[in-house]
Amino acid sequence: MYKKFYLKVFALLIAATIMLAACAPQATPEPPEMEETEEPVMEETEEEAMPEETEEAEETEEPEMEETEAETEEAGDDVFIFGRGADSVRLDPALVTDGESFRVTGQVLEPLYQYELGSTVPIPALAEECTPNDDATVWTCSLRQGVKFHDGTDFNADAVVFNYERWRFTDNPYHYESQVFEYYEYMWGGFDDASVISAVTALDEYTVEFTLTDPLAPFLANLAMDMFAISSPAAIEAAGEDYGLPSVGAVGTGPFKFVSWQEGTEIVIEANQDYWGGPPKVSQVVFRVIPDDSARFLALQAGDIHGLEQAVVEDLQTAEEAEDLYVLTRPALNTGYLAFNYKIEEFNDPRVREAVDLALDKEGLVENFYGDYGEVSTNFLPPLIWGHNEALEDRGFNAERARELLAEAGFPDGLSEVTIAEDLTDVDGNVLFAAGEKVPLRLYYMPVTRFYYPSPEEIGTAMAANLFAAGIEAELYLEGDWPTYLDARRNGTLVGLYMLGWGGDNGDPDNFLGYFFSGSTEPQAREGWYQNVELAEMLQEAAITPDRAERQAMYEEAEQMLYDDVARIWIAHNNTPLIFSDRIDGYGAQPVGADYFEFVEFVD
Amino acid sequence: MTPPPLHNQEREFTLGRYILRRLLSVIPTLIGVTLVIFLFQRLIPGDPAVAMLGERATEENVARIREQFGLDRPPFLDRDALAEGDLAGFFDSQYTRYFSRLIRLDLGESIHRRIPVAETLRERFPATLELSLFSMFIALLIGIPFGIASASRRNSTLDGITMVSSLIGVSMPIFWLGIMLIMLFAVLLQWLPSGGRLSTGIEIQSITNLLLLDSLITWNIPGFLDALQHIILPGIALATIPAAIITRMTRSSMLDVLQEDYIRTASAKGLSERIVLFRHALKNAFLPVITIIGIQVGILLAGAVLTETIFSWPGIGKWVYDSILGRDYPIVQGVTLLIAIIFLLVNLVVDLSYALLDPRISYD
Repeated sequence: MYKKFYLKVFALLIAATIMLAACAPQATPEPPEMEETEEPVMEETEEEAMPEETEEAEETEEPEMEETEAETEEAGDDVFIFGRGADSVRLDPALVTDGESFRVTGQVLEPLYQYELGSTVPIPALAEECTPNDDATVWTCSLRQGVKFHDGTDFNADAVVFNYERWRFTDNPYHYESQVFEYYEYMWGGFDDASVISAVTALDEYTVEFTLTDPLAPFLANLAMDMFAISSPAAIEAAGEDYGLPSVGAVGTGPFKFVSWQEGTEIVIEANQDYWGGPPKVSQVVFRVIPDDSARFLALQAGDIHGLEQAVVEDLQTAEEAEDLYVLTRPALNTGYLAFNYKIEEFNDPRVREAVDLALDKEGLVENFYGDYGEVSTNFLPPLIWGHNEALEDRGFNAERARELLAEAGFPDGLSEVTIAEDLTDVDGNVLFAAGEKVPLRLYYMPVTRFYYPSPEEIGTAMAANLFAAGIEAELYLEGDWPTYLDARRNGTLVGLYMLGWGGDNGDPDNFLGYFFSGSTEPQAREGWYQNVELAEMLQEAAITPDRAERQAMYEEAEQMLYDDVARIWIAHNNTPLIFSDRIDGYGAQPVGADYFEFVEFVD
Repeated sequence: MTPPPLHNQEREFTLGRYILRRLLSVIPTLIGVTLVIFLFQRLIPGDPAVAMLGERATEENVARIREQFGLDRPPFLDRDALAEGDLAGFFDSQYTRYFSRLIRLDLGESIHRRIPVAETLRERFPATLELSLFSMFIALLIGIPFGIASASRRNSTLDGITMVSSLIGVSMPIFWLGIMLIMLFAVLLQWLPSGGRLSTGIEIQSITNLLLLDSLITWNIPGFLDALQHIILPGIALATIPAAIITRMTRSSMLDVLQEDYIRTASAKGLSERIVLFRHALKNAFLPVITIIGIQVGILLAGAVLTETIFSWPGIGKWVYDSILGRDYPIVQGVTLLIAIIFLLVNLVVDLSYALLDPRISYD
């Protein structure tokens, strides 16, 4: 009896599934009438007219099929959907440090300069030109005229002054106590009087003058950073502390306007038809959050999204072979390295450091873990950045020579235990490792994947195996999760060899070499207690030298010094792959700064 | 052994008192939960301020964030302040500050994003609730009928198939199943979307934030169908384990009951198999099943990190997971508290439903 009942239930379930499937949108729908799509999209979002919009669709169409049509109409063929692993933190670029926030703000807001498509060269954006005085302490910028913010207010010198003063002055009414303007402090030397920019003045409606306390060589490169994009003063005044939150979004002058942000789900932006550089080619861009790498790739295969960043190796291979997908690479502006903690006695002997370098098979590591996208690094600076020293060559992989060097340094039986040179304490002053203490040699691997280390644990394991073959017995060590790891690195308590890397912020060599080593007149806890006075002084000098050729020579020299010292072991630069549907063309993957979305178009 | 049956009125009175007592006992339990959470969170190394500021953190900014969120105070009590005779300082700790906010129903702000925890919770919890209820619905739809059928046809082919499938169901890695479902239904057949809660461009007026319900209330059929299409795959993935557990539990519980004398009597007096099964056996077999369902609902509501991650479902699971990694204490505290409340309420409901099923159970 009851069997029939279940059969019925099942029949119903199956029928329901099939019905739903019938209404499901197809991934590659027939080209819909485009004329209809373009105009309503533009207007509908001016006001929050979304609910009415849906109701309209409901009224005009017949019940069963309306879902499909409504969808094709709205998320039509000129809506570019990009899949990414995480949501933006906030859409006020001055307050955030995560790439996913800049990916969006870079489309909505613009700085005075921007980076040329596909390179790290700063070119004018909202400024038409910025020219320095003789000693490069005063920069005069003439601004682009006739540009309007998305809220209709004018972009002018006052707007630039408003933004820079908000970032700089801690007592500015829009520089809230709860907000951390991390990048302003980091790029411009500090707030208030500590700021390298000592004044920003509007000379007339379209001319701004920046006065610096000292010459700052990377001035234009800094100006072009996403964090220093100009927001509408009116929008900041209206939103106050909430500017950049999901309910407010961002208001700038960029090629796209902010439309909506559903936290953890998606951010929608639409074409700014009045953009000074000409309107973008797609009507909307949707940034959709798909946290899982495999699921994101499947969404691309299913046609639910049109492009993505970050995929597992297997999926990359599939994409390379697939006919309807292609892989684009973002030129590397990053370096993965293995650092020494100089509070370890043994590491103060350059022969030991060189032995570690020789023991590592970097080509093998790159081949196995980075595939075609990685390249062995010989410099800290990636080849894309000027100042990269072409003359330097990898010492090569030579376990025999490594053993010899170790023997010369007094370790004929290899190295498995190391000695702490000085007391190492935590923040509260408790001694974690005492001077003279013997500890097993550790190789700290990163608990998270970063583009410069695609699979840190596996790479760490391979490195440990390499080292073992040369008589260096390193214990693979997990220090905890990412915040713990960074904390320990900052305090210089990763006692051994540790993996880390760097991704550039503005394409200037100072952002690599200067940030890491210009403080090393003293042993720096954050940099494994490395000290190199000569190098530090030269880097400080390079940062204020206006002449680019002179600077370039200094950075090349700095790379040579780091190489001669075997200060650190540079492992690899990784070009990050992005995957797109073959219906998409024109995505501008940037080595630095936000990607260009304005040239994206559908080619079918 | 069984207490004498109470009169109805008396029974209701006792029941009311019982509920009140149970609800009151929730309070000390919750205080305990907040203490434990506080303790455990602060045992994990890693500073929330460093986690937020990242690789470029400066000492000053770390100190400022710590101060703003009171992280510079000791977690529970400040013994140094007591030594100096500063009684107010002694009690001014991270916990007491948190607790005094909590009494005012303020869950605090996310350290990373400065958005009130309650606000995000209002948005994300309904997503988890909707998915959990939907999955439980599927699990019951599968688990109970198959459990009953399996028990009544013990050792038949059907029983064998059911038991093997439920074993597979319990042990199936959700991660793998989720990917397979997407591959089959979204990539190959292209019947259903690969993830998310709603297609871009589809809008549902938000009332409860349960999209299926909201779209029905506002009679938004395209919205309803779209939401339904999105919930099917994650719903199935999430239902697998509870469905398998419920099937096995129903089966074993039914088997016990079917061996009782009164069932034999019922069959002997000529009642049809259907009536014996559904009217006489099922009700009694249901007690342990209800307990299991309660626990499963609690587990589902606590957030399914894997399912939510694979299907990009914007619920609390993935959110709290990321918050633990980012040391965003206020979020972790808020969500944990909510989950604790849910577990306590579900338990209460389960206990109360016993009485409905079995009049012998009383609540003194």
